[in-house]
Amino acid sequence: MRATALAIILGLAACDRGAPPPALPRPVATVLPPPAPAAPALLSSADVDARLRVEWQKAGVTPTPPASDATWLRRVWLDVLGTIPPPEVARRFLADTSADRRARMIDELLASPLWADHWTEYWDDTWMGREARAPIVDRGAFRAWLHDVLARNVPWNEVVTQLVTASGVNSEGGPKKEAYANEGKVGEPAGVNGAVNWTLRYLQNPQDMAGSASRTLLGVQIQCAQCHDHKTEKWKQTDFQSFAAAFVRTRLVPLDRGKDMADVKRVEVRDLDRPAPRFAKMGDLDAVMKARPTALDGTDLTTSPDGVRAALARWITGRDNPWFARALVNRMWGHFTGRGFVDPVDDLRPANPPAAPALLDALAADFVAGGYDVKHLVKVIAGTEAYGLSAAPLAEATAKSDPEVKLWERFRVTPLGPEELLNALVSATKLDAIVRATGRMDLAQIRYRVRQRYGFLFDVDEESDAGDYEGTISQALALLDGGVTTAGASVLPGSALADIMATPGDDAAKLESLYLRVLSRLPGKDELERWTAYVADAPSTPAPAPVMRKGKKGGKGQQPDPLRRLEERTAVEKGSARVHAYEDVLWALLNSSEFVLNH
Amino acid sequence: MSHDDFSRRAMLRLGTSAVFGSLVARWLDPRLAFAAEAPKPKAQACILLWLNGGPSHIDTFDPKPGRATGGPFKAIKTRAPGMMLSEHLPHLAERGDKLAVVRSMSSKEGNHVRAQYFVHTGYAPNPTVVHPSLGGWTSARLGDAQAELPAFVSIGGPSFGAGFLGVQNGPFVLPKGGAPPLDVALPAGVDRARFDRRRAALDAMEDRFSKETGEPKVEGRRQVYAKAVRLMQAPKLDAFDLASESDTTKKAYGDSDFGRGCLVARRLVERGVKFVEVVLDGWDTHKDDFGRTEKLMAQLDPAFAALLDDLGARRLGGSTLVACMGEFGRTPKINANDGRDHWPQAWSAVLSGGGIRGAQVLGATDDEGGKVAGPATSVPDLLATMSSLMGLDPAHSEMTPVGRPISVTDGGAPVHALLG
Repeated sequence: MRATALAIILGLAACDRGAPPPALPRPVATVLPPPAPAAPALLSSADVDARLRVEWQKAGVTPTPPASDATWLRRVWLDVLGTIPPPEVARRFLADTSADRRARMIDELLASPLWADHWTEYWDDTWMGREARAPIVDRGAFRAWLHDVLARNVPWNEVVTQLVTASGVNSEGGPKKEAYANEGKVGEPAGVNGAVNWTLRYLQNPQDMAGSASRTLLGVQIQCAQCHDHKTEKWKQTDFQSFAAAFVRTRLVPLDRGKDMADVKRVEVRDLDRPAPRFAKMGDLDAVMKARPTALDGTDLTTSPDGVRAALARWITGRDNPWFARALVNRMWGHFTGRGFVDPVDDLRPANPPAAPALLDALAADFVAGGYDVKHLVKVIAGTEAYGLSAAPLAEATAKSDPEVKLWERFRVTPLGPEELLNALVSATKLDAIVRATGRMDLAQIRYRVRQRYGFLFDVDEESDAGDYEGTISQALALLDGGVTTAGASVLPGSALADIMATPGDDAAKLESLYLRVLSRLPGKDELERWTAYVADAPSTPAPAPVMRKGKKGGKGQQPDPLRRLEERTAVEKGSARVHAYEDVLWALLNSSEFVLNH
Repeated sequence: MSHDDFSRRAMLRLGTSAVFGSLVARWLDPRLAFAAEAPKPKAQACILLWLNGGPSHIDTFDPKPGRATGGPFKAIKTRAPGMMLSEHLPHLAERGDKLAVVRSMSSKEGNHVRAQYFVHTGYAPNPTVVHPSLGGWTSARLGDAQAELPAFVSIGGPSFGAGFLGVQNGPFVLPKGGAPPLDVALPAGVDRARFDRRRAALDAMEDRFSKETGEPKVEGRRQVYAKAVRLMQAPKLDAFDLASESDTTKKAYGDSDFGRGCLVARRLVERGVKFVEVVLDGWDTHKDDFGRTEKLMAQLDPAFAALLDDLGARRLGGSTLVACMGEFGRTPKINANDGRDHWPQAWSAVLSGGGIRGAQVLGATDDEGGKVAGPATSVPDLLATMSSLMGLDPAHSEMTPVGRPISVTDGGAPVHALLG
């Protein structure tokens, strides 16, 4: 999933007064200036282009032509910031004829406060997954930590070191807190280190932690060796056990004294110089408990005075670690282009060789030389010719076909992740303003509810390279009939459509505003003609009286479902045939493949 | 492209495409190539009653009255000679002749998430591949892509999806029994004529985008949308509406979301749905185990019993496999909070109908209920028993995206003693 939680709110705030969007006040630590610019002589997008053209030539494949500015703009907003561009940005960019307009847009995105929001979602999902919701885990605090390091663009080796060696106090979590954490309403008490929640997530599963660390930090799938010696790779079960042994040396000190253990939610994580006794009871951990903590290349992790976890972090992030820089470069390249050099992105191994290995190596070396600067890496990737290519395949006659597009000679189309889709929907409809205008509802609650109700529905496998669209009936229904599209496509006060209808101008002007807002492009001539006729021909009889949906007003002790209230709000709104026709057009845009896919 | 490469990709792609539906249906038809030792498939459908959180086996299906670990509940006799159940399962006791109680379940997964994954998929979690749940396998290999209703429905929880078999084979989720599915009704203010106009407008958008980009995903989306609209307008949608059920029937299932979920499950199975999971949550009783387990049994007992009666009365008992379990059992030791903690070493699962031989207890635990006495039954074996009754050969495997063949369970084999 590629996502950002509340980018939309920021994005829309920006729409109201012109980009770039302002920073949302954050309860987290003071924002420090970004680190000093890295050493010179780093790779540029042009360097990458030159290398890729050689690869294309060698393989005899023809790249597609560049994507249009509008397509590229939407793409780069989704991939860098997790949402679609506000209409003013689209209008400004499409009018820009300067040669460096794309490069300047990338700089604008890298400086946006939405950057940290989006990548907080991304890494929270990667490291904490969907299911890490135990009472002892406070995802809000974890996200606050992530947001802080991402907003400051802390070098990647330092981020990973903080994660792996995290010590200190967590804070109380729970779903209610989570509902608000995304919206910045919950501050973390002083002295809390949110990073410890990654360790707390694996309270009972140090083997899973070892597997997750090697997969997400190094792109290495060691965990198969948890159960058996690897059949094709060099890892033995004993290698896994020795690596996992580095993850059992933390102790948890409960802070809520006087409570039953079952009620303890706040703990302090500390290093321990021996395997933690809490794992001793779990019979299947005997081998891990007895093993000597050892890195995947055989480095002994027990010899440093500052402990096993510090040694582990040093080894992971070391300049001579063969995986660390490659794993992050490969992951980012895969995020932007739809396919990593190594595919899947977290499966680096000899039997799964990369495409264009020299380019991967060059980017990885550059990442190290530049001081592990993720923004620099993103700037290089987003500025490449390959990232800016059209997604439409060339005709068979003119191009040698490579159905798997292994060399990025054409942009790979992927469905938006759940958060991206939600962000895009809110941005396109101003759902937040609709909610505000009702005066009684809370967007945070609605977003939480939507996430609960629809999050899993739109869970797409980013690494799946199936050519077909894989979607579910529930997903389609949510877009066809669900509260977000229904309310969003209506002329409720505050909505994008209400604004557009209230702005003077003919149908062409209204359609242009609608297209810029929803699809980040201008409508084609054929579309202007079609929709103008559609609006003119709309049945003059008003739509039938809306029927209130049956629904419980909330059971005992339950809050009434805010999403349902929103749907009911839509039901009492009446409009002319012309307004209904516009609602229908917006509805069609929101349901279109062009909207739902990153293309 | 090597042959293997072709077949794994083709398998995955074709499996999702209605265009090649009939071809794949034959290709995937498990009944054409069934391992010799597997039992004959008898079940047309499976209903899984999922006791989320891990029920205390000792307080439910494996009572130890009089033991220090036994807790306060008495054990009562059942219709099956020698089978004793908790006193709070009187309706099920009456139907003991239909039940096979497996008391020798044993696993190593003591963490909720891992254990739930294990018991749903037959595999311990492994980040290299997402294993399909039994419902996902059922949808992919036994479901009819053209049916009005989805092949796999989950009531009261998201269940587990179809993993590498694709999201289209994951569960259609109903938030709770007795409530209509989300978003199948037209939004307020949109009548059928307006909805059709909207769809025509959408078609125009799709045509244009498809022509401009040549993107095959557009056709895939069109098919999914067509299915969604078919569901919105399906006559069989009445399966979710309990209005036509008599008060007597509704009362028999009990006034609970779980009871209504079980009744909906029966209605879905009547209408050809292949796999229904109904979730009863709340069994993670670290505190007040006895109070809470008693309340949960008060929901489980009438619903499960009424479901068996109902299926029997409709001559669906023989062709509907009903399974009831959670992710693990709970400790024999009663903790300081009057609760019991996680205990995967020994626990119980219950099967009925669909080719299961009733009136039997398979396996046993020791006097304390802490260890399996005699041979243990593994989760893969239990799922292999269920899958083979459904017509899914546990020995059949399919290629995953990472190029490794994966079978329905991790090496499980049907437990013949359970079969009728």
